[in-house]
Amino acid sequence: MPEKPIQGEKRVFMTGNEVIAWAALAANADIMYGYPITPQNEIMHYWTRMIPKYNRKFLQTEDELSAGFTTVGGVLAGRRAFTATAGPGNTLMQEPMSMAEAMRLPVVVVVQQRGGPSTATVIYSQQEVTMTTLGGNGEGLRVVYSTATHQELYDYTIKAFNTAWKYRFPTFVLGDGYQAKMRESLTMYDPADRGIEMVATEPYVGKPGMPGVDRDPTHLRNTYNVEEELYEVLEQYLADYAKAAPEIAEYEAFDTDDAELVVISHGVVSRAGKAAVQELRQAGYKVGYFRPITLRPLPVDQLREVANKAKQFLVVESANGQLDRLVKEATFGCPVEMLPLFKPGVGITTEEVVARVKEIKG
Amino acid sequence: MEAYVGEYASGKSEVAVNRAVDLAAAGREVTLVDLDIVEPCYTLRPIKRELQEQGITVLAWETGETVGLGETGNVLRAENRWALRRSGDIILDIGYGVEGAKTLNLLEGAGADPDLQVFAVINIARPMTGSVHDIVAYVRELGTVHGLINNSHLGDDTDVDIVQQGARIVDEAARQLNLPVVATTAVPEMAALIGPVDIAGHPVRKLVRYMPRTLW
Repeated sequence: MPEKPIQGEKRVFMTGNEVIAWAALAANADIMYGYPITPQNEIMHYWTRMIPKYNRKFLQTEDELSAGFTTVGGVLAGRRAFTATAGPGNTLMQEPMSMAEAMRLPVVVVVQQRGGPSTATVIYSQQEVTMTTLGGNGEGLRVVYSTATHQELYDYTIKAFNTAWKYRFPTFVLGDGYQAKMRESLTMYDPADRGIEMVATEPYVGKPGMPGVDRDPTHLRNTYNVEEELYEVLEQYLADYAKAAPEIAEYEAFDTDDAELVVISHGVVSRAGKAAVQELRQAGYKVGYFRPITLRPLPVDQLREVANKAKQFLVVESANGQLDRLVKEATFGCPVEMLPLFKPGVGITTEEVVARVKEIKG
Repeated sequence: MEAYVGEYASGKSEVAVNRAVDLAAAGREVTLVDLDIVEPCYTLRPIKRELQEQGITVLAWETGETVGLGETGNVLRAENRWALRRSGDIILDIGYGVEGAKTLNLLEGAGADPDLQVFAVINIARPMTGSVHDIVAYVRELGTVHGLINNSHLGDDTDVDIVQQGARIVDEAARQLNLPVVATTAVPEMAALIGPVDIAGHPVRKLVRYMPRTLW
């Protein structure tokens, strides 16, 4: 038995990509499949550098379609499997992730968003929100965690495996190029030491016993003969998802009770949102902060509660309204006015958020 | 002539930049060379002008000159290739860990220059160089190294404890590698608390943080 990668609590200073590799190790991930793309490359680099010591596996494929499908295969074989990608790679992975939705496979995908459309920049954006939450030719039966700090990258990468294997929906950790390359301190830990039990994995295929005699046959389908067959399956999936959604949904909020304007942001941009709201409060502005941590499913009830109290939502994102669209759908019918601060593919600072709020409030 | 190498995010650029600034402040002629050819967009580019205003000659790409930023690797600037032939003090900032250290071979005269000192920058908060054993293994992979620098820190969360713990571990690793510890580097607040020498008796160099401003 190789030793545990993390013994006790460990204060470390790392890049986000490295954090993810360590978190996957700590979560007892068995195998990573991947194809290189900036800015997620160091996840693969660190994973492959560390795994000989811990007896884990890696397979480099010929492209992201293949990386996605081999991750699907790893899960079918009962392995805690994951992959990581960005931008155009994420686009290609939507087809295998659709299959994972169709077969309810607990695939874990880390996305480090880069500029788009197409190859655009290798640097940063929040432009993969629509694709990561609702990509593929289906109904978005997936979970998406949007992280803001290195500590969260660690915590939510571990959690992603458990959410995936508990609910059997593909689960994404949505980071970005800034988080990937930025250096920050965090505490690493062995999940068991924090009372986090890793949800057991099991093979979907090759199970012992005679199908139909000793056990139910395994019937994995991503194709159906007639509409009614598909409809019946999807009804069940959608019901499962609706039931799981409130259990999965997470958010962070403060100062929303008496806020006239609430700054809505996610991921790394929420750091600017948070600092801006704190600064504006001190200056006497009635502002609040709301950040969905899960972008799919959204914390709909909590968002609606705030949207029924506040007069205005200022949605701040490094995309042209991808979070905004999700929030509008979730708060449909609420009397809140929606205001934008969109900078597609570009970072947003505290100062810019503060200036925008002051401009609105006069 | 000094080259700074080390684990990705060990702080080698910070140490190299500070060394160049200190030497320039002492009235010396200094050239700082950015040799991260893997991801030149993540290094000295954003602070190039600021350093030049302090009298340092900075050999690094300009945004408008670069091609294939980050993804396709990069070509060595012709000027950088001949950096060792310049007069004055030459400080080389060599990116990207063990693979990056090979970049040194691309410089004219690097193999034969008796004045070239290669220093490995170590941060024990980086798990790959977190223990004596790991540091020894890592430094052996780097090729020629003339000394170690303890740059142990936790970014904004740095305390005296991590710096001193680093001093002790790096000191022991250096003993096993039969190399000197050149210095412990720390931000001015920490350096003031530690005093002129660290717990292992090595000189403490003050480090002003320039790199947080270089992430684009």
